[in-house]
Amino acid sequence: MLVVFSNIIAIYRKELQGYFASPLAYAIAGIFWLLTGYFLIAILLGPDGLIQQVALRDQMGLTEPPIDLSYEFLQVFLRLMGTISLFVLPMLSMGLYAEERKRGTLELLATSPITNWGVATGKLLGVITFYSTMILPLFVLQAIALSVSSPPMSPGIMIVSHLGLILLAAGVLSLGMFISSLTDSTLLSAIGTFALVLFLWVVDIIGQAVGGPLGDALSHLSLISNYTNLVQGVIEIRSLVLFGSYVVLGVFLTAQSIDAFRFQRS
Amino acid sequence: MIEVENLCKIYGTTPAIEDVSFSVKAGEILGFLGPNGAGKTTTLRILSGYLPATNGTARIAGYEVHEQSMAVRERIGYLPETPPLYPDMTVEGFLHFVARIKRVAAGDRPLRVEAAMERCGILDRRRSLIRKLSKGYRQRVGIAQAIVHDPPVIVLDEPTVGLDPRQIIEVRNLIKSLAGDHTIILSTHILPEVSMTCSQVVIINKGQIVATGTPENLMEKLTAGAGYEIEVEGEIEAETLNSLLAVPGVKIVDLLPTSPTEPRQRLQVVCETTREPGPELIAACVTEGIKVHEMRRTRASLEDVFLTLTSQEEVTITRSPSEDEPESEEIAKDQLEEDQPEEETVDN
Repeated sequence: MLVVFSNIIAIYRKELQGYFASPLAYAIAGIFWLLTGYFLIAILLGPDGLIQQVALRDQMGLTEPPIDLSYEFLQVFLRLMGTISLFVLPMLSMGLYAEERKRGTLELLATSPITNWGVATGKLLGVITFYSTMILPLFVLQAIALSVSSPPMSPGIMIVSHLGLILLAAGVLSLGMFISSLTDSTLLSAIGTFALVLFLWVVDIIGQAVGGPLGDALSHLSLISNYTNLVQGVIEIRSLVLFGSYVVLGVFLTAQSIDAFRFQRS
Repeated sequence: MIEVENLCKIYGTTPAIEDVSFSVKAGEILGFLGPNGAGKTTTLRILSGYLPATNGTARIAGYEVHEQSMAVRERIGYLPETPPLYPDMTVEGFLHFVARIKRVAAGDRPLRVEAAMERCGILDRRRSLIRKLSKGYRQRVGIAQAIVHDPPVIVLDEPTVGLDPRQIIEVRNLIKSLAGDHTIILSTHILPEVSMTCSQVVIINKGQIVATGTPENLMEKLTAGAGYEIEVEGEIEAETLNSLLAVPGVKIVDLLPTSPTEPRQRLQVVCETTREPGPELIAACVTEGIKVHEMRRTRASLEDVFLTLTSQEEVTITRSPSEDEPESEEIAKDQLEEDQPEEETVDN
């Protein structure tokens, strides 16, 4: 047991070292910060931003219902971050296995006394950690900006909504890792992941169109509806279970696909 | 230590290897020889557990490579055709990582990594990023990762490819020094390498084993035996050749074609295995009134064996044995090419 854990940590550390030494990772993080930073300012302070809108509203005398500005801001901003992440996450997960295949290092991992799911778990933890460090500065900025709001921002909602973002990322990255394990081309992996995520993002619309029990089932799978719940501070067990299932499914499928290679025509 | 029985690997309808069987005793070095595409890498990948075989079994230290994969993985070090290196890691960092996933105990790791780096001669580049290393150094890091956990069995796929001559010698010495405590199987298409390092040779062509044995055995198996090449001056006629043929132990006497202006000619004599009628031949020449300028022993080098086995053509045995001097072999071969067409063939 300890050995398995130690193996996962070994892979995890290697992955993290790789991210902090990789120019691509810095580029992705840099662009992410640029975009989200811009939107943070624009949404809050811009001419069409929330502060202006509320001020306008107050001027016109519409004080009912009272708007919790910081809460509204959080909703808009996090929804945006979710959408941007949909583009960024496939880029983070595309290389997880495709790069290993290309470099020939998968042969090293496959001939070492380490299990497939151990490798998959280590890699997933690594990429989630990296994504979390990308989110962290934005979290701090929001905390600072919203700390002076009145009524004051509840820290509980801040944390829950950001955890929701991370859960969303974990699910997407896990599925992306599976797609990456199917190919040795990072481009193909990124495109495949993006297509899958897009499907899961809009599946509730598809579900409504389909109708009936199948449509209902499909709608439940939707990333956006479950994410929105969490962002609003609503912790629904089924959302947690759904994201958790995506994570586990991704790891499981990855381990199987690597193993399938081993069992070809055997 | 390594037992392979009737190993087959079929991709779709194409067989990559068929009915491959061999075994390696503990402490031995097995050379796996074959042209490109023969199935060497496929066999080694099956041995390491990376690929599953379609049929047949392979055992390492008693464990079956497919059924008991984890047990096998703990006991082998593997260098694939392309060294499995992470470009963004340092040499030392990479070896520490490999030591970790190969289950080297935490306390032993620094020592083992140090020892592996020293053995492979990469201590001076321990903090360099792997992507900044030259091919030779990368190959050495690849060998280091195969030995860092001191496995009982080491599988090397073309370990000297891309190295300069000095490094090749170092790597060969390293491999030889590892034998005894470790069982090694290496694949190569560089022939002198096999006769220099290996105690056993398996030759594979088009997915099938064509010969196994020690380097000496193989050479003996496929040649009619030792022979001589004699540079002579004088009148050579049919009777002369016949009287030379009459010398006991001689099988064939041939006159190699030379230009008409050349006063000296060369005789090719092939003898029966284990017979060495050198002095008798000289005596016969003197009796016939032929002047002998030079007499050389010829013996098939492993390369002739290899070419014969893998090209199914008879090959002239006309070069002197000089496995330690590849350059002179090349020169002799060039000289020989001038003497074509080949009329002399080995009579098997």
